[in-house]
Amino acid sequence: MKDKQFWSVAGIIFVLFMIYWVAGHPFFVAERAVMFWAIMIVSGILIYSTRMAKRGEEIFLRSIPGLKAVEEAVGRSTEMGKPVLYVPGIMDMDQVETVAGVVVLGHVAKMTARYETSLNVPVSRAIVMKAARESCRESYLIEGRPDLFHDDMVHYLTDDQFAYAAGVNGIMIREEPAACLYMGKFYAESLLLAETGNSIGAIQIAGTASPSQIPFFVTACDYTLIGEEFFAASAYLSQEPELIGGVKGQDYLKILAISVILLGTLFNYFHELNLISWDLLGFLTVQ
Amino acid sequence: MEKFLDFIVKAGSLDRRVIFVVIALAVMLPLFFPLGLPIRPTNSSQQVYDVVEELEAGDKALLSFEYGPSTKPEIHPMAVALLRHLMSKDVKVYITCLWPDGQFMAMEALDQVAVNQYGKVYGEDYVLLGYRPGAEAIIKGLVSNIRKVYTVDSRGDFLDDIPMMVGVNQVADFDFLFSASAGYPGTVEWVQYAADPVGITMSTGTTSIQVNEVMPYVQSGQIKGILGGMPGAAEYESLIGQAGIGTSGMDAQSVAHVIIVVFIIFGNISFFVERRRSKKY
Amino acid sequence: MFMKRQLPIAIAATIGFLTLFGWFVEEPSIKSFVDDDATQWFDILASFAMFLGALNLLKMQAMKVIRQSRGWQYAALAIAGFSFSFIAGFVMLGAYNVEVTEFGGSTGVATVLANEINQDLQSTRNILSAVPAGDAYIIDSPYFTEGGAESVVEQIVAAGGTAEIHPAEWGAHIATRGSLFNWMFRFIFTPLSATMFALLAFFVASASYRAFKIRNFEATLLLISGIIIMLGRVPIGGHISAWFIMYIVVLSLVAGVNTWLKNRTYTLVALVVGLLGVTIAGFITGWPVDQPSIFFLPVLQDWIYNNPNVAGARAIMIGIGLGIFASSIRYILGIEKSYIGE
Repeated sequence: MKDKQFWSVAGIIFVLFMIYWVAGHPFFVAERAVMFWAIMIVSGILIYSTRMAKRGEEIFLRSIPGLKAVEEAVGRSTEMGKPVLYVPGIMDMDQVETVAGVVVLGHVAKMTARYETSLNVPVSRAIVMKAARESCRESYLIEGRPDLFHDDMVHYLTDDQFAYAAGVNGIMIREEPAACLYMGKFYAESLLLAETGNSIGAIQIAGTASPSQIPFFVTACDYTLIGEEFFAASAYLSQEPELIGGVKGQDYLKILAISVILLGTLFNYFHELNLISWDLLGFLTVQ
Repeated sequence: MEKFLDFIVKAGSLDRRVIFVVIALAVMLPLFFPLGLPIRPTNSSQQVYDVVEELEAGDKALLSFEYGPSTKPEIHPMAVALLRHLMSKDVKVYITCLWPDGQFMAMEALDQVAVNQYGKVYGEDYVLLGYRPGAEAIIKGLVSNIRKVYTVDSRGDFLDDIPMMVGVNQVADFDFLFSASAGYPGTVEWVQYAADPVGITMSTGTTSIQVNEVMPYVQSGQIKGILGGMPGAAEYESLIGQAGIGTSGMDAQSVAHVIIVVFIIFGNISFFVERRRSKKY
Repeated sequence: MFMKRQLPIAIAATIGFLTLFGWFVEEPSIKSFVDDDATQWFDILASFAMFLGALNLLKMQAMKVIRQSRGWQYAALAIAGFSFSFIAGFVMLGAYNVEVTEFGGSTGVATVLANEINQDLQSTRNILSAVPAGDAYIIDSPYFTEGGAESVVEQIVAAGGTAEIHPAEWGAHIATRGSLFNWMFRFIFTPLSATMFALLAFFVASASYRAFKIRNFEATLLLISGIIIMLGRVPIGGHISAWFIMYIVVLSLVAGVNTWLKNRTYTLVALVVGLLGVTIAGFITGWPVDQPSIFFLPVLQDWIYNNPNVAGARAIMIGIGLGIFASSIRYILGIEKSYIGE
């Protein structure tokens, strides 16, 4: 209730939609109304939290060891005079995880610029190469060290999954980076990369939202960001209020999701016992 | 006793190369000297088998090949076994590929089963539509209109000239959908954009690693059964009564798993001895 | 500045909103864009962008070769491999089929064909006689070069037959059985890919050996469930009797009693009672391998897969889904701009 502007806009959108609905909702796929409102509510919660954070509300975020360790890892590389290896996943920019990986790369690049550590970013897709290059270039510029940046810092290897893994393994064995960061979408090559990194004694921090690869990273890496922690990495590293507010909003969404699950279980149970006729699960199922 | 404990502690930090050699032997030897361990099908493999058993001659099955040479050892045996099952029942097989490598895998499987084993006729009993780039867009296109995505098949023949394509216009025209998948795009995309919205019966075969990810869909009934990796392929081969590469690989996999468990137990014994010693001192 | 900052954000926001809300709109052109065109635009862009990647790769490897840096020979190999696959895909057709139209009754033609298809003369004659009258015989394997195909045609003509060359169509040549590209895929790419994937077997073993240590309760749980699944998933698990597992459980419980109570008498009593109990139960029931089923590895493995495993996987998937939505909303609304370098 603290944000009058937000509630006014939300109210206006609601009223307009109601008018549109009563007017016969032309062109609207009525069967998907539940999903539409779910999106509006979820977006509303995220936008509200973001705005509250921007206004200066104190938000507590629990510490994530993996993210604290990123600066440590870069520092370790600096001390040892070895490069930092950053792997932004093997998929293209159409995957949200890859975009998140490039975002985290920007933060890591700021650290390497600050500490004057060399950064090696082998990529698997050409578009990711361009995006990652821009992100690194900006980071080095912001840190006032554009002289340290060069295009070949971010270089393309190959699109093929295992050829890429072979290439990255080769880089690890030859250059022996002191820190290996794996942030993005991975498949079966995750263990190949992590084990090779382990064999060269590098500190390894992984972040992925691929559920099947998380166990491999947990086993082989020093720190792992699991699922949402990886998406929250940008907020943690930048400490920007809007991003932190977004993370807080995700927590509210989780509470909402848990409530819906519990209520849904209860309602479904009553429905199967014929105590209530309304099928909540049928209502929430959208196709 | 002390010397024995010393040896255990030393052996606890085994060079990984020793482990590699032992694993290599554990995998190779059973291939040359098979143990013949009987295979026990799991519920999820049985479910896939039961679904295919319910199909009748003339029914249409859409198979999607989404794997490449790297995952071929895990998925190719199940694809071959499924093709054998479908062709033995005279089910018409339509093959699409969302991975470029998938087309080569499909060609190999069809050569082995359709051509060499069952003598099936291309265009009447089976058709290879081929690879199209686009991932989910291809699936959505197939759901709405196959000819929007495919005008010709993998040989360059127009779809309208292929006898078995008559009356087949969208995914809903098929009786069964099977995704042999090693990643993205694959099973999850087929469930989300085809099987669930259209309501077509779908089963899948994936790598062992991916079973975790796909299991929620199996449990919710959106996918009817799953063949998980080489064990799944071996189970399916035992159900159809035709042993193949899956079955022959299971002895090696069994021995390798036992060796890994032995290594783990040994590593823990060494860990405990070392911890006890450091507490003592 | 506008091109580098505001324009990319405006494009991301517009396309993002269109794709997100287009799913709710029953308008054919918007539906078509959302369902078909949007993802295909990306594929087209990515395909053209591949040139950038390929040029970057060639440049990096060429610089290594020119400077004779450490390992430059591998860079030369990389360039050679790239060139070979480029030539096999775009320059050389590599798939010339030879179609023999007339061969009846001619030993010379059969002799030539026997050489080409690696069969003896009699088998080749049998193959040719099985060809229906009026039909042509196509040599199974296409030839990589037109010259190679022409040489065979000349030999057939000299032997009294007639033959024609039918090159494969451009595009279809990469999938044509026996073509140069197909040969490269089957005999170079496939073994290399399979080898890299096979390395996982070794790395899983070394990772498990290193990581599965009983450091705390969670690690113990991981270890036990890992062992159950590894053994239960393969045929050998079905041969490990449930009674063997029961004995292990008894021994583990006794170890727990000893750690907790630190009394030798109690430990001994627990050990004797446990072992006796299991043994007597085994004798009474006749030691069935798969009973009691709660201790049978394949059943245990199935339960772990279908219950705690799926529960955990679902929870992570829901969290990831929320994370993806939150991140996407940030990108669409322009709150998160780091991906364009801001």
